[in-house]
Amino acid sequence: MGQEQFYSTPRSEVKRKSKDQVFSVICMLIAGLVVVTLLTLLGSIIATGGSWLSWDFLFTEHLEDNPEQSGIGQAIVGSIVLCGLCALLALPVGIGTAILLEEFQPRNRILRWLHWLVQLNINNLAGVPSIVYGILGVTAFVYMFNWFPSITPNDPPSWEIGATHIYQVKTLGGQYIKFVCPDKNDPALRVTEPIEAFDDNGNNFMINVVESRSDQPDDPVLKNRTVLKGKLTSRYSEKAWYHLHLPFGKTVLSSGLTLALVILPIIIIASQEAIRSVPDSLREAALGMGATRWEAVRNVVLPAATPGFMTGAILAMSRAVGEAAPVLAVMGGVMGTTNGLTNLMDKSPVLPVLIYKWAGDENAGFENLSAAAIIVLLLMLLVMNSIAIWIRNRYEKKLGA
Amino acid sequence: MTSNSANATETPSFESFHRRNPTVSKISQTLVMTALVGCGLFSLAITIGIIVMLATQSIGFFYNEEVAVNFWQFLTDSRWTIGQTQGVPRYGILPLVSGTLRITGIAMLISLPIGLTCAIYLAEYASPRVRSILKPVLEILAGIPTVVLGFFAIKFITPWLLQPLGDFKTFNAGSAGIAVGILCLPLVTSLAEDALRSVPNSLREGAYGLGSTRLEVTLKVVVPAALSGIISAFLLALSRAIGETMVVALAAGSTPTLTGDPRVPSQTMTGFIVETFQSESIEPDSIGYYSMYAVAAVLFLFTFSITLIGQLIRMRYREVYN
Repeated sequence: MGQEQFYSTPRSEVKRKSKDQVFSVICMLIAGLVVVTLLTLLGSIIATGGSWLSWDFLFTEHLEDNPEQSGIGQAIVGSIVLCGLCALLALPVGIGTAILLEEFQPRNRILRWLHWLVQLNINNLAGVPSIVYGILGVTAFVYMFNWFPSITPNDPPSWEIGATHIYQVKTLGGQYIKFVCPDKNDPALRVTEPIEAFDDNGNNFMINVVESRSDQPDDPVLKNRTVLKGKLTSRYSEKAWYHLHLPFGKTVLSSGLTLALVILPIIIIASQEAIRSVPDSLREAALGMGATRWEAVRNVVLPAATPGFMTGAILAMSRAVGEAAPVLAVMGGVMGTTNGLTNLMDKSPVLPVLIYKWAGDENAGFENLSAAAIIVLLLMLLVMNSIAIWIRNRYEKKLGA
Repeated sequence: MTSNSANATETPSFESFHRRNPTVSKISQTLVMTALVGCGLFSLAITIGIIVMLATQSIGFFYNEEVAVNFWQFLTDSRWTIGQTQGVPRYGILPLVSGTLRITGIAMLISLPIGLTCAIYLAEYASPRVRSILKPVLEILAGIPTVVLGFFAIKFITPWLLQPLGDFKTFNAGSAGIAVGILCLPLVTSLAEDALRSVPNSLREGAYGLGSTRLEVTLKVVVPAALSGIISAFLLALSRAIGETMVVALAAGSTPTLTGDPRVPSQTMTGFIVETFQSESIEPDSIGYYSMYAVAAVLFLFTFSITLIGQLIRMRYREVYN
């Protein structure tokens, strides 16, 4: 005690101690403010949207002028598909990069420099705004750097599989007949010469083309196969589930690829953490038994790091589920489609985009819908995060034991 | 490969190592290494892709057949009229930059002091019980999608918090700034807390041994020792705030304004990009389309350089105390 008095008088000591007390109180107040902010945020959303939640809300789709009947069915499907798609694309590359960075230390100067560069670059990529990824997605996936000719919104894609373009034309008998045309590029084809068509039973026949109405046959069956020369056709397309075209255009696939770029740095960083947490003794034991570096990684490190990979993947996916900006850039503000999601070349609404569009809608009712959709989105995130925490707790113990 | 980590500790059977073919392992190792290096280079390719794309497409903005936009005019003109149909078109990015800086400034005013205080509280003061409440709260805040904060800004902060205080418009920089501040807060707190925690206890004990109070230890020893980490946390939050899109798209409005007033609408760089993408009227190859890339290039320059500086500071000073 004597020495302390040598440096500070009791009076100043009281002052210093009270300063400490005051700061401690300020800290507590600020911490309280943070908690209150979160509670207000959640409270205001539940107050606005809670009563609009219903079972039907989860399964119906957006209706332009009827908020009472609108729902988020398509958006939930869209979000889940998009999320799965981007995880499927980003996980292998992400884990591969993490293995490279953590398990294969560079041996010479150039490689060491490259290693440093890749690591720095990944941390930087994590800081790139997601809207910039959105622009990259538009350029690289939607328009594919304009490598393919004639890219305007209404042109058919340069290359495609899984789509059949069917033309239909009205016959003199008043019925419609269908045919497949080899030249798919003309949306408004005119019938000028006999073409092979098919009826509803799948039977093929040739279209009978006549110059004028006076030439029309009397037989009603033949009449239903007869078309006036120069008659305009209309086109529609049947698309298989594997329908694919280049460039990808404003589709779910483009959005998935773009989101994969957004979450790639997150997955790499989380996977690196997972690999780093595998104790060195396991690696050394494998190497000591004569395993090659890759064998040690494949048989020992990867299995031990898998729970960490899964946790990281789920957390990255929960980021992707809530991400609106890149999807908005790539697909546009889609609120609903007529047929739903049938293949990867379709458009689809996703939850955050729908929330954004509804929140910006001036009409009464959409504000509540937006809040209700937010509650569903937050619940989805809660479930995903709980799974991640459960995996972490379960396997952390096992590895430690 | 098994997915169960319990197998990891089991030794592979002696047979499997004894009978393997060394040539096969060599070849498979080479193949795998090639694939892994490919993965690593892919991430570099993304960065190069972004830079090349922004550079080449921005050229379409400055060397356009329709309108020749002067580079100097782009940087200094005080009006930005893309998306508006009447009047002489003006292409000055300053109003968009002003919107971004206004909102970022408000966000930093909120998130830096509160975030740093929370970090100090968590690292130096809080009891385990308080920690077990505050930590999850911050984690939940960090996990909230930005579009939700945008909703909060426009439906709660503007009408209930700001409009009673003054003449705030429906869309204003203030509410967007506060929401972005809430968004950056958990980021600042967790990074700054990590930095404070990495200061070795011996430094604290030395200061306590000299008779310092807790506040003196914190402010005079721990914070200076963790300064590089704290600064890099600030810089990362700054770049995050500049790049934030959904909050400003919802709450800040779509009118570019060159002012310091937080009460008026203020379109930001990100807000402009997202607005342009959404509108069906902008066609590829038009001046509006290319302007997006020019704005994105400026945005990327801002965030990329700030993140890079933050990274370099952290890398440079990280190992000093370990």
